[in-house]
Amino acid sequence: MAGSPAIRFRQASVVYPSGVRGLDRLDLDIPHGDLVVIVGLSGAGKSTMLRAVNGLVTITGGDVEVEGRSVRSSRGKALRELRAGAGMIFQDYRIVRRLSVLQNVLVGRVARVPTWRQLIGMWPKEDVELAFDSLDRVGLVDRAYVKAGQLSGGQQQRVGIARALAQKPSVILADEPVASLDPVTSRRVMEDLRRINQDLGITTLVNLHFLDLAKEYAERIIGLSQGRLVFDGAGGDVTEGDFAEIYGRHMTADDVLEAQVAL
Amino acid sequence: MSPRPEAPARTRRHLLTAAAVLFVLGLTVWSANGIGVSLVELFSNLGRMGRLIDDSFPPAWSFWPRLIKPLLETLQIAIIGTIFGSILALPLAILAARTVSPSRPLYWLNRNIMNVLRTMPDLFWAMLFASAVGFGPFAGALALTVFTVAVVSKLTSESIESIDMKLTEAVRASGGNWLETVFFSVLPQALPQYVSYVLYALELNVRASTVLGLVGAGGIGMVLNTQRTTFQYDRVTMIVLFVFLVVMLIEQLSAAARRRLV
Amino acid sequence: MSATIVARRPGMPRSLWLGLTLLILLVWSFSGLEIDGGRVAALPKTMARMFGLFFPPDVEYGRQSVVPAILESIQIAWFGTLVGAALSLPLGLLASANLFPRATRLVKPLLAAVRAVPELLLAIYFVPVVGLGAFAGTLAIGLHSIGTLGKLTADVVESMDQRPIEAVAASGGGALSVLRFAVLPQVLPEIVALWLFRFEISLRASAVLGVVGAGGIGGVLLNTLRYREFARAGAVVVLTVIVVLAIDAVSGSIRERLVRE
Ligand SMILES: Nc1ncnc2c1ncn2[C@@H]1O[C@H](COP(=O)(O)OP(=O)(O)O)[C@@H](O)[C@H]1O
Ligand SMILES: [Mg+2]
Repeated sequence: MAGSPAIRFRQASVVYPSGVRGLDRLDLDIPHGDLVVIVGLSGAGKSTMLRAVNGLVTITGGDVEVEGRSVRSSRGKALRELRAGAGMIFQDYRIVRRLSVLQNVLVGRVARVPTWRQLIGMWPKEDVELAFDSLDRVGLVDRAYVKAGQLSGGQQQRVGIARALAQKPSVILADEPVASLDPVTSRRVMEDLRRINQDLGITTLVNLHFLDLAKEYAERIIGLSQGRLVFDGAGGDVTEGDFAEIYGRHMTADDVLEAQVAL
Repeated sequence: MSPRPEAPARTRRHLLTAAAVLFVLGLTVWSANGIGVSLVELFSNLGRMGRLIDDSFPPAWSFWPRLIKPLLETLQIAIIGTIFGSILALPLAILAARTVSPSRPLYWLNRNIMNVLRTMPDLFWAMLFASAVGFGPFAGALALTVFTVAVVSKLTSESIESIDMKLTEAVRASGGNWLETVFFSVLPQALPQYVSYVLYALELNVRASTVLGLVGAGGIGMVLNTQRTTFQYDRVTMIVLFVFLVVMLIEQLSAAARRRLV
Repeated sequence: MSATIVARRPGMPRSLWLGLTLLILLVWSFSGLEIDGGRVAALPKTMARMFGLFFPPDVEYGRQSVVPAILESIQIAWFGTLVGAALSLPLGLLASANLFPRATRLVKPLLAAVRAVPELLLAIYFVPVVGLGAFAGTLAIGLHSIGTLGKLTADVVESMDQRPIEAVAASGGGALSVLRFAVLPQVLPEIVALWLFRFEISLRASAVLGVVGAGGIGGVLLNTLRYREFARAGAVVVLTVIVVLAIDAVSGSIRERLVRE
C-alpha cells in the first residue's frame, strides 16, 4: 500500500448508543513508523479514537482506514484479520492471571494459528519462538513459565506489550499504558514502547495523561477535546499555552510526572 | 538474545494429573457398572416413556380441590420448622462462633454435633421422627426443625465470626459482661444476616416439606405417595405442577424480602 | 422505599410488624397441625428410647446389606453429578448474560424450571420408564444437577474479570479463542469446585431416592424402620453419617485447593 498512510481518519465519528459523541468528525493521517501521543482531558475521546482503529467501537460516521483497509466495513473474518494487525495495550493490562506469562503472550497468535491447535494447546514451534522473542524485547524471558498473576504491575504491563508484539502488528495502540504504574516503572514502559517503535518501525499511537511524558517521547502530539481535534504538532513544539488550549485550563502538578516523582 | 528458560520439570504435576484422571475414570466406570447404566435400555424404553406421558397428560385438573388442605399443611410444616429451628439456632450459633463463644469445649462440642446433624439428609430425619412419634405432620415439623437448626446455626456462626470485633471490645471495655456484649454488640451486627438466612431456610423448607409425605411425615407428599403407588400419573402431574407453582411463588416472595433487607 | 416509610404509621416500627406476622403464622400453623403439648413434652423421652434401640447397631446387617446400598448411593451421586456437570457446562455458558445476552433470556428460566422440581419428584417419573432401581435415581440426580450447576456456572462466569475478553478479541481471536483463553482459565477451577460441592449435595439426595424405589440406602432405612428393626436402622444411620462425613472432608479439602490460586 505504498502511498496510503498507516492510519487515516476520514471524518470519523463515533456516537455511543447513549447518544454521547465519543469522536466528532476526526480527519487525520498517521504516517508509517510514527510515534504519536494523544493527550486530552478524561472523557475527551482518546480511548474512543484508539478503539475506532481496531473496531472495538462501532464507527457511526465517516471511516478509519488501516493500511488502506476500511475498518467500518470490516466484519467477521476481515475484522479479526484487521485486529490481528493492530496490537493493543491496555491501562489495566488485561492479562489472565491464572495463565502463565508465555500463554498470555501466545494469545497474540490466536488469529494466526488454527483454532483446534489453540484449544488443545499444541502451538506451532514458530509461534512459541515468536512469543519468546517478544518476551525478550520486554526483558521477561526468564519469567515465561510463571503465573502472570504473580508478576508486579509493571511486569504485567510488559507482558501486555509482549502479547501485542507477538501479533507482529503493523500498528500498536496503547491506551494509557502507564496510568496504573509508578513514575519509575512508567518510564521503563515508555522506553520499551519507544525502542520497539524505533527498532521495528511499528506505527505507535499512545494515549497519555502526563504532559511531560508526552513531550519527552512523542514525535507528534495530537490534542483532543470533546471528540474533536484541537491540537496537532511536533512533540518538541508544544507550549504551555497549547496545553491550556487542549485542557481548557493551566497546567497543574497533576499533569506532570516529575511532580509525582517529587512527592 | 537471552537464553530460553527450560520448561519447568512437570513430571510431578503430570503424574498427579494422570493419577487424578485415572481416579475419576475408575470411579465413573465403577459407578456406571454398579448402576447398570445403559443407553440401550434408555432408548428401548422410549415406548414406555410415551405411555407415561400419555398417562401424565393432561393433568387431572379437577383434582385440585383435594390438594388445598394438604398443601396448606405442607406450608404449616415448613413455617413451624423454620421458626422453631431458627429460634434454637441463634444461641447455638453464638456458642459455635469461635470469636464469641464463652467456652472452648462447648464450642468444639457444639460445632461437631452440628456437623454430624448436617450430614443427615432431611428425609432421614423425617423417617426417624415418623417412626418415633407416628405418621403425620408433627414428624415433618420436627424433621425440618432439626434441619433448620443445622443450616441456620452454621451460617450464622460464620457471620458472627466475621463481625467487627472492635465494637465488641468497646462494649467490654466500658464494663459490659459477656451477656451484655452479646446483646449490645454481637446480635445487632449479625441480625440482618441472620434474618436473611432464616428466609433462605424457609425456601429450603418449603421445597423439602413437599416430599416429607413420601415417608409419612405429613403434607402434600402423602397424597402424592398414594397416587404414585396406584399409578394415577395424571394426578401425580397435577400435584407436581401445584408444588412447582407454590415453590416458585414462595421463592419469589422470599427473594424480594431478602432484597429489601439488604 | 421512601413511600413505605411515609405510609408506615408512627409508633409501629418494622420489627413489631414482623413479630406480629410471625405470631399469626405460628398460631395458624399450630392450629392446622393439631400439635398438643403432651406430645411435645414426651418428645425427649420418645427420641431417647428410639436412639437407645439403635445401639448397638447390627454390625452383620451393616456389612451385608447397608454397605452395598450406601455404595450404590455413592455411585448414583457420582455418575449423576458427572453427567449433569458435563451437560451443565455448555448450558451454563449459554446462560451467562455477559457472553450470550440473547440466549441467557431463554436458558436461565429453563434452568430455573428444572431446578424447581426436587430430585425425588423427578425420580417418580423416571421409575416407570426405566424401572425400579439405581438407573432411575441417576437420571433424576443428573437432570437436577444440570439445573443447579448450570445456574451456578453462569453466576461464576458473570462475576469473573470481564476485561481479558476484550484483550483476546483485540488480538483477532474468535469466540472459541475467547472461551479458551479469557473465560475458561478464569472460571474452570471454581466450576470444578462447584461440581465437587454438588456431588456432596447429590450424595444426600441420592441417599433418600430409595424412598420411591430409585435405588440406594434410603429404601433400606425405610424398610428397617417400617418393621421396627431398630438395631438395623442404627447401622444405616451410623454408616451413612460416617461415609458422608468422610466424603465431605475429602471433597472439601480438594475444593479448597482448587480455588486457591
Ligand atoms: N461504552 C460507552 N458508552 C457510552 N458512552 C461512552 C462509552 N465509552 C465512552 N463513552 C463516553 O464517550 C466520551 C469519550 O470517552 P473516552 O473515549 O473513554 O475518553 P478518554 O479516553 O479520553 O477519557 C466520554 O464522554 C465517555 O463518557
Ligand atoms: Mg480512556
